[in-house]
Amino acid sequence: MRKKLLGKSFGYVLIGISSLIMIVPFLSALMNSLKTYKEYTTVPPRWIPEVFQWSNYADVFKLGNIGGYTLNSIFVALLSVIGALISCSMVGFAFARLRFPLKSALFVLVLGTMMIPAVVIIIPHFIIFNKLNMLDTLTPLWIIEWLAQPFGIFLMRQAFMNIPKEYEEAAKMEGCNPFQIYMRIFIPMARPTLATLAIFTFMGKWNEILTPVIYLTSNEKYTLPIGILSLSGQWTGNEQLMIAAALVSLVPILLVFLFAEKYFVQNHNMAGIK
Amino acid sequence: MGNMLNDNAALKADPMPKGKPARKRKWDHEGRWGLLMASPYLLHFIIFVAGPLAASLYFSFSDYDMLNPPEWSGLDNFRRMAGDSMFWRSLWNTLYFAVLFVPLQTFLALVLAVALNQRLKGLKWFRMAHFIPVISSWTVILYVADAVFNPRFGLANTLLAKLGLAGQGWLQDPKLAIPLLVFIAVWKGIGYIMVIYLAGLQSVPGDLYEAAEIDGAGALRKFRYITVPLISPTTFLVVIMSTISTFQAFEQIYVLTGRGDISSAGGPNNSSLVMMLYLYREGFTFMRMGYASAIAWVLFMILFLLTLVQLRAQKKWVHYD
Repeated sequence: MRKKLLGKSFGYVLIGISSLIMIVPFLSALMNSLKTYKEYTTVPPRWIPEVFQWSNYADVFKLGNIGGYTLNSIFVALLSVIGALISCSMVGFAFARLRFPLKSALFVLVLGTMMIPAVVIIIPHFIIFNKLNMLDTLTPLWIIEWLAQPFGIFLMRQAFMNIPKEYEEAAKMEGCNPFQIYMRIFIPMARPTLATLAIFTFMGKWNEILTPVIYLTSNEKYTLPIGILSLSGQWTGNEQLMIAAALVSLVPILLVFLFAEKYFVQNHNMAGIK
Repeated sequence: MGNMLNDNAALKADPMPKGKPARKRKWDHEGRWGLLMASPYLLHFIIFVAGPLAASLYFSFSDYDMLNPPEWSGLDNFRRMAGDSMFWRSLWNTLYFAVLFVPLQTFLALVLAVALNQRLKGLKWFRMAHFIPVISSWTVILYVADAVFNPRFGLANTLLAKLGLAGQGWLQDPKLAIPLLVFIAVWKGIGYIMVIYLAGLQSVPGDLYEAAEIDGAGALRKFRYITVPLISPTTFLVVIMSTISTFQAFEQIYVLTGRGDISSAGGPNNSSLVMMLYLYREGFTFMRMGYASAIAWVLFMILFLLTLVQLRAQKKWVHYD
């Protein structure tokens, strides 16, 4: 018994310290975002600003084209989420519930493509979008999501396989075709997994840097993460505003996370089982 | 109940298996529906996987600047790579990064997960604290890490000064660049791995620990002889996943060392130039798409071999029930 208590208090100390290491840097950045530029560059630095410059957060939107970057990010993230939900659930349903030619060979391909490192196909993708005249547009950032990514297919297939057969048998008797069964029975029953897929797609796209860096050249097309970075080159003397902008860009994800934490964790459970 | 008995009687009379009649009602055109609904992935595979794989393999044996059609050049790209000191440097940096990062993150995440797994109060809050870096973009992390490691006004050097120690250049110090990038990457990713481990730990039976306690085993021995072997399938998965992603690390180094400027990323003095950055530079800055494709294939082959080695080695240390 005493050993258990000892273990627990050791656990609290360890996790407590580790949580501080996680949070303190974010608090420091938050403090920096509330300073004047002069205060931000003072040596030795003050951790807490003398006067909290809340107006920094209003000034963020006067910085370059932050509003435009935000709209671009929202556009890409939303179109990606819609595309992933439709395509992955459809393909996942086919793999979970329908018999069709070459099904098992195709599923091996799905699993296989999860293993192929993105580096080998980045350059041909760039060439494809170049041929399609889509460089420096937002299209390459979301269009692939409409063609079912392997991870999402896998996630949806697992969810659909767990739905009892009886549901579809009854609908079959009534003469529903596979698509109707998918729409009326499977989609409503897989809502939690769809939420997980939506959240992960949104987060991935919102935070993505590599693809926007490859495809976008003109500043007004930039998404938030690379837009904010591009400002630091042009607007010296405004570091505190860029920190504020970066923290603002975290807010949507943070809100999703606070309200839907279980969906984040659920997905990781599946990753663990896989 | 009565019905079931009747069914059994019917089965005995009729050799047809029980479920057959229902399944016999053939769904009209099920195969066609299946192909139709799976077609987004079919298109995906043909356009964005198979075609590109073949193309990039071809490019890796060609000279290609995107303006003129690719010209077959045999093994030239690979010969050039063998004598390209910058390539070797990027390979070395990538290996150095991975060798530090993968074991460190895996081990620390497991320790945290085990500590959290003893039904601590406030689990949700602790987990959340470790997840905030996970959900942040690298741009957010840049400013958060800068608050700590800025050589002039960061927290770390302020603390060192209070202790009477000399301040460091951190990311601007060629010797510290990779170790610090590893530290920041571990810090950002550990919550994710920790949650995977927490899920895996649910399947470790509690009575094993009780038996070990009766035999007088302490916490360390229980960790070493029960937790580590029983969680090894999860560890295997985590190691494979993080090796693959570490070898392709781009965003973190591009953002933390280049701050959005590709020409200064990988600095100082190329001390943090990793393979993906070098590939990007060769391909997208200098338009040497052939050479960049060759680098990509070498990276792919290294990863393939590493995964094979890990699959082989798992027999020695991964325990499946």
